[in-house]
Amino acid sequence: MENAVRVLNLSKSFNGQNVVRDISFDISKGEVFGLIGPNGAGKTTIIRMLLDIIRPDSGEIRILDDRLSEETKNRIGYLPEERGLYKKLTVFETLTYLGALKEIDSEKRATFLLDKMGMLQHRDKKISELSKGMQQKIQIIAAIIHDPDFIILDEPFSGLDPVNMKLVKELIMELGKEGKTIIISTHMMDQVERMCSRIFMIHKGEGVLYGKIEEIKSRYGKNTVLLEFEGELKNIQGIKKMNNSGNYAELILEPGADPTEVLKKLAEMVRINKFELSMPSLNEIFIRVVEGT
Amino acid sequence: MSKWRIIAKHEYLTNIKRKEFLFITFVIPLFIFAIMGLSFLLIGIGGHNEENKIGYVDNTGLFDPSNLTKYTDEDLARKDLLDNKITNYFVIPENYTATGKIIIYSSKKNFADNMKIEEQIRNFLLDNLLKNEPSDIIQRIKKPLDPEYFTLNEKGLKSEDSGFEIILLPLVFSMLFSISIFASSGFLLQSVIEEKENRIMEVILSSVSHKDLLTGKIIGLGALGLTQVFIYLTIAAVILLINPLALYLIISQIHISIPLLAAGIIYFILGYIVFAGIMAGVGAIATTSREGQQIAVIFSLTGSFPFMFSQFIVTNPNEIFAKALSIFPLTSPITMIMRLSITDVPFYEIIISIFVLVFSAYFTIEISVRIFRASLLMYGKKPTIKELIKYVRQG
Repeated sequence: MENAVRVLNLSKSFNGQNVVRDISFDISKGEVFGLIGPNGAGKTTIIRMLLDIIRPDSGEIRILDDRLSEETKNRIGYLPEERGLYKKLTVFETLTYLGALKEIDSEKRATFLLDKMGMLQHRDKKISELSKGMQQKIQIIAAIIHDPDFIILDEPFSGLDPVNMKLVKELIMELGKEGKTIIISTHMMDQVERMCSRIFMIHKGEGVLYGKIEEIKSRYGKNTVLLEFEGELKNIQGIKKMNNSGNYAELILEPGADPTEVLKKLAEMVRINKFELSMPSLNEIFIRVVEGT
Repeated sequence: MSKWRIIAKHEYLTNIKRKEFLFITFVIPLFIFAIMGLSFLLIGIGGHNEENKIGYVDNTGLFDPSNLTKYTDEDLARKDLLDNKITNYFVIPENYTATGKIIIYSSKKNFADNMKIEEQIRNFLLDNLLKNEPSDIIQRIKKPLDPEYFTLNEKGLKSEDSGFEIILLPLVFSMLFSISIFASSGFLLQSVIEEKENRIMEVILSSVSHKDLLTGKIIGLGALGLTQVFIYLTIAAVILLINPLALYLIISQIHISIPLLAAGIIYFILGYIVFAGIMAGVGAIATTSREGQQIAVIFSLTGSFPFMFSQFIVTNPNEIFAKALSIFPLTSPITMIMRLSITDVPFYEIIISIFVLVFSAYFTIEISVRIFRASLLMYGKKPTIKELIKYVRQG
């Protein structure tokens, strides 16, 4: 398949500190790709280099089979992590101006997207009159106002309530189905796990995991129990590690432990609502990678 | 439409609606004219309302009382002064014809009145001293010349000059001119910092290059500055046409010639680009708008040097000091306009100053683009001088 993005041996340092070190990955056309890692790992720096906002110290970047030109920029949509809009402009003025910068006449599409995101009645309001969640939605609309082939979303879910989160997720899925290439950069691994086919995981500026999510997971084996429960959960024999969130827990079994035995012991201790034998979550895998276990 | 033009249009249209722009464009020039007109009016009113009643004590026996009250005894004069029957009295000492000494007393300190009182006393003295001369000779001695100035050039054409214009035209013109330069480059600083502060800069930069962004801003706000200059000229023209009495004397003296206007526009554009380039760089470095203003003040202060020394420049337009200020790029536009409007500046000096300005304009923009590129998205972190030099070198 053709590559939408090709990154080769990319490095960048600020004031002698390596923020991104020798990173390489490819993204195929039409793929929903996850760029994941904790805060400060270097995700935003990579994205800014993809967009030629900052220059890499070394390495090569190709986007849509080309070096980034003004032409290519018109085919890219970008939602930055640092959100902001002109406070004094109206919603519609903002969208048409940002559309004009992509060299398209965006009035029709602005109306269409506003309607789709349930924002049409706010069309002529000033940005400063909108709530934070509404501003978020305007920014997402602005990122796709020009119907781009390649969309970069940096932390698209931060600051959204569950209803809007769902709306945005559906929008991303729809764009994916339309054949757009999408990068989702986030530290919320569970979101990526459900939406992306492949990921690149970065930690302290270095790539630590890269590939299909299923393949990565299967490398770590089917030794995880996802548990929903009521009561107080204590560590029991056969469990190596426990990520307890109160009424939800991820249990990593010891090698050779029998899941049925574990279930029995758990049932004596707490009321079980759900017990699922599964591959480890990306989150768990990430923690293991970082902790070097 | 290339992208810098979209940005220029956007900057122009959003900034022209700013309250600050409307204030600077309409309120400040009216304010300046109002102050000038008011002080003019006040002087006029002062002269008509309060007639001075002057008495005198003559110790020479030469002076006849015409319209002034004569006192034989200084004590009586002093008493009348303190009782407010007269406003002033003066004493003509015995040796007056040898020394010309006149001692004037008044009931209150009033500097503005002194000139009028002296005028009245002078007329009184002259009338008496020249009482044997014909009245037209007396008039000529009182006002021996009514000057009119003309300048001849090589072509033999003459232009009318007047003393008032010499001070006023360059000052008012260059003041409005520099208000426009400072205002529009100030808007540029604000616009860069605002886009940084509200974080939209990154979205813009994912669509356009740093250079297009900067070019668009500089051109858009430069057009705004030209609009402002145009509005100033229109306001001046309108006031000239309406001619309220108090303003008439000031305004009627100002005539802006076409070559001066052309030079003004060229110096305005170049001067603006230099300042705009600097402000863009400052905007890229500064983390908050307050910090930006603080750094910008250094440059605006340097730019307003010609005003601090305006008296010196106007009186000595071809001295080395004025020449130096008209070459240094931060001060040259305003200094040159001042000089051009009062004297003939050698052609080579104009060429040198324009050359230096063009070079500086190019240079500041080039440096600013580099700083812009390197430090624009370093939120909340101001680069050190060392880092700045590194950015500029790396390009």
